[in-house]
Amino acid sequence: MSLSVLICDDSNMARKQVLRILPESLSENVQLATNGVEALEILNNQPIDVLFLDLTMPIVDGVGVLQGIKEAGISVKVFVISADIQPEMQNKVLDLGAKAFLRKPVQLDVLTTHLTQHDIL
Amino acid sequence: MKNFNLNEDQQDCLQEIINVAMGQASDQLARYLDTFVYLKVPSIEQVSSQHLSDTLKSEAQSVAVVSQGFFGYEGIRGEALLMYQPKDSDRLADLLGYEPDELSVEEQIIDLSSILTTTFLNVFASQIDNQMSYSAPRLLFSSNSDKNTSSESSISEHIQHNSFNWDVALKVKISYQVTDYSFNCDMILLIPESAIINITSVIDRILEEY
Repeated sequence: MSLSVLICDDSNMARKQVLRILPESLSENVQLATNGVEALEILNNQPIDVLFLDLTMPIVDGVGVLQGIKEAGISVKVFVISADIQPEMQNKVLDLGAKAFLRKPVQLDVLTTHLTQHDIL
Repeated sequence: MKNFNLNEDQQDCLQEIINVAMGQASDQLARYLDTFVYLKVPSIEQVSSQHLSDTLKSEAQSVAVVSQGFFGYEGIRGEALLMYQPKDSDRLADLLGYEPDELSVEEQIIDLSSILTTTFLNVFASQIDNQMSYSAPRLLFSSNSDKNTSSESSISEHIQHNSFNWDVALKVKISYQVTDYSFNCDMILLIPESAIINITSVIDRILEEY
């Protein structure tokens, strides 16, 4: 059975960047969200296996999504993909439960390495 | 006013390129200041030269404004304005790690502005396979030395008198907030109409890949 994937980014181009490098096993059941509110609504209503999450977004940002996931006890493997590469931000999202921090624009080899490390591939 | 509005895809693409550049510039700033920089979603809008003063009014409480021109290949050019907000000046030396009297506040502001502008624009340029050159940063206004003028009038005068001859420009606003020090700096990029057309062509090339 294919894994369910959610890509949350306010940029259409950034969502496409992730979509086009997704391994086949992750590309069959993909949903998209354009901000944190949409992402949390999906996460609260259906099981999602893998979340690719941007940080700098309007309405509710990526940190807000991670806090929401933690508070609601939602089980999902989160990979943050962000341009905000400050070490303090990277540590913050890992403390909030993200599996990895990937810098934008994300590359295929980097994504594959992290997905393998976390037993998704 | 001529309309150079980008379509939704072009605006999204430009915003994402700006996001990546902003992220790397803020990382440089955070390392330089040894603190954390809070980022907001950047804004992009079209402004006319006639109404530039109006659009800058909200930023016009600045204590200091630094301007630096940038020039790339393929006719990509513009002016970067770094606008520092009122709370900053007293703590700037402390923030930058200078000894008292080592450098004037004005020199420190110019130093910091140059780092922010060049880091941001170098990353921006690399993403569109371009390379930037820069004019020397210039302090347009400082509340320490210009007691009788406003930052708004100094900017308008500067824009009118330099070679930046335009009717319409793309205004990109990026806010850097250093929360530990209540330090706010807005970077405003003004890209004149001739350069907007060139940037649009570059963006369209990138979009073709998607």
